[in-house]
Amino acid sequence: MRTIFKRDFLAYFRTPTGYAFMGVFLSLAGFIFYLYNLSTLSSDILSFFSQLTLLVMLLTPMLAMRLISEDRQKRTDQLLLTTPISLGKTVMGKFLAAACVILITILLTNVYTLIIAIYGVVYPGEWFVGLLGFTLQSLCFLALDLFVSCFAKNPLTSAVFAFAANFVLWMTDLLANNISITWIQNVLNFISLYDRYEPFILGQLSYSSILFFLSFIAVCLAGATHVLDSRRFSGGGAA
Amino acid sequence: MIDIVNVTKHYGSIQALRDVSFHAPRGSILGLLGQNGAGKTTLLNIITGYLAPSSGHVLLGGYDPLMQPAMAKRHLGYLPEHPPLYDEMTVCEYLSFVAELRGVKKHAISAHVSEIMELTGLLDMRSRLLSNLSKGYRQRAGIAQTLCGDPDVLVLDEPTVGLDPKQITEIRNLIKTLSKDRTIIFSSHILSEIQQLCNHVVILHNGSVKLDVPMSDVYDSREMTLLCTLGTAQTQIAQKLRELEGIRRVTPQSSARPNESAYTLTFYDEPDPERKLFALLSGLDIPILHLSRCEDTLEQVFLRVVSE
Repeated sequence: MRTIFKRDFLAYFRTPTGYAFMGVFLSLAGFIFYLYNLSTLSSDILSFFSQLTLLVMLLTPMLAMRLISEDRQKRTDQLLLTTPISLGKTVMGKFLAAACVILITILLTNVYTLIIAIYGVVYPGEWFVGLLGFTLQSLCFLALDLFVSCFAKNPLTSAVFAFAANFVLWMTDLLANNISITWIQNVLNFISLYDRYEPFILGQLSYSSILFFLSFIAVCLAGATHVLDSRRFSGGGAA
Repeated sequence: MIDIVNVTKHYGSIQALRDVSFHAPRGSILGLLGQNGAGKTTLLNIITGYLAPSSGHVLLGGYDPLMQPAMAKRHLGYLPEHPPLYDEMTVCEYLSFVAELRGVKKHAISAHVSEIMELTGLLDMRSRLLSNLSKGYRQRAGIAQTLCGDPDVLVLDEPTVGLDPKQITEIRNLIKTLSKDRTIIFSSHILSEIQQLCNHVVILHNGSVKLDVPMSDVYDSREMTLLCTLGTAQTQIAQKLRELEGIRRVTPQSSARPNESAYTLTFYDEPDPERKLFALLSGLDIPILHLSRCEDTLEQVFLRVVSE
């Protein structure tokens, strides 16, 4: 797993992908920071984090698209799947590589928090809760995108699918409000990332949401492993 | 070392492999022959565990790549049709990565990779990005990765495809060197290559095994083919030739010059066909302008097997 993680993580920075992701994310985060904090002279760090969700939704497909579909396109999956390393560890290694890029980017986003701390007031608890919620939510989007990328052979197609999946997941609560069938409404409300993220935006540390986020990531990764494994039987190769 | 037992593979309604079974003993080089679409690549993918068979199973060193992947794949090095290279890595980084995947201990990786690069002639390219390598060197890097972890079984899918004649010779020599202490299965369209390198041949046709014999048994030693050119243009001579003792086939050749005729004569279980032919033609006062024995080539065997 460590070997896969190391290779995939370094690959982000040997190609423009990692730099492009971080550059675009941090620039747009700066723009949001200017709009929501600087121009209004607000030290509300939580609303800043909540606005970053849109960026994660837009940009995580960029990281996820190369994880599985690029291996299939370049046929390097034939190498990975014929070595003794297990499929589960391969998927985990790839997820952690992309997760690491996201974590570094989120850490760098704290430059904006530092600016607020210098010129205003940042409550450490509030900052920690906001950061934790945002990080977990970002990793959920990444896990979903990795799962979706198992269905596409072309990285670009994978990115489009992933963005659509992120959008639908984010909108599930709105969808639930417009559906009259109770059980569907309940399911949609249950999987709504927005609803799960809401307590963090309000500064509340929600253990149930943390558990949900972690379970969501685990289910997506297990699903990705299962899809790749079942592809051996259908004939398209495992990754 | 490699056992393929009743392997069948379906892609939807298409049957790619039907009840394929054969055995490659330790230390053998097994050549897999077949026309395009015969099922060679599917079979190699199943042997390596990249695909699962619809029924039947494969054993690598006694382990099933699907049921005991970690144990089975420890024995395996696989070069697919397109070398699985990460273009953004250098040759050395890539081989170290594969060695680590195959469980080579960290402290031993550097020496192991250097040894492989020396063996495959990649030492001068060690710091080059894989994306900047020529087709021949990319193929070498592909073969080099199969050696990482020192596996007992090498599965090579058309290792010389797209290479120039010099590179083909180099890769063939490399395969010969590697075969000393390994079992190698390789597929190729080049029949002479299989003939030169392999000590066992399997011919696949429409997903079924049509021939599975040691290379020494490919040719029927009781069959003998003569090529002869006669100093006559009479067509009736063919009938006389068909009456020879032990003759099986008489095939006229179109390459003869005016006032000459050429034939391919196939004898069966006839110890001295030249003497019989000479006796017949001297009796008819027909001069023999050329006479030679013709060895059955793998190409002829292949064409005969797939057309049966």
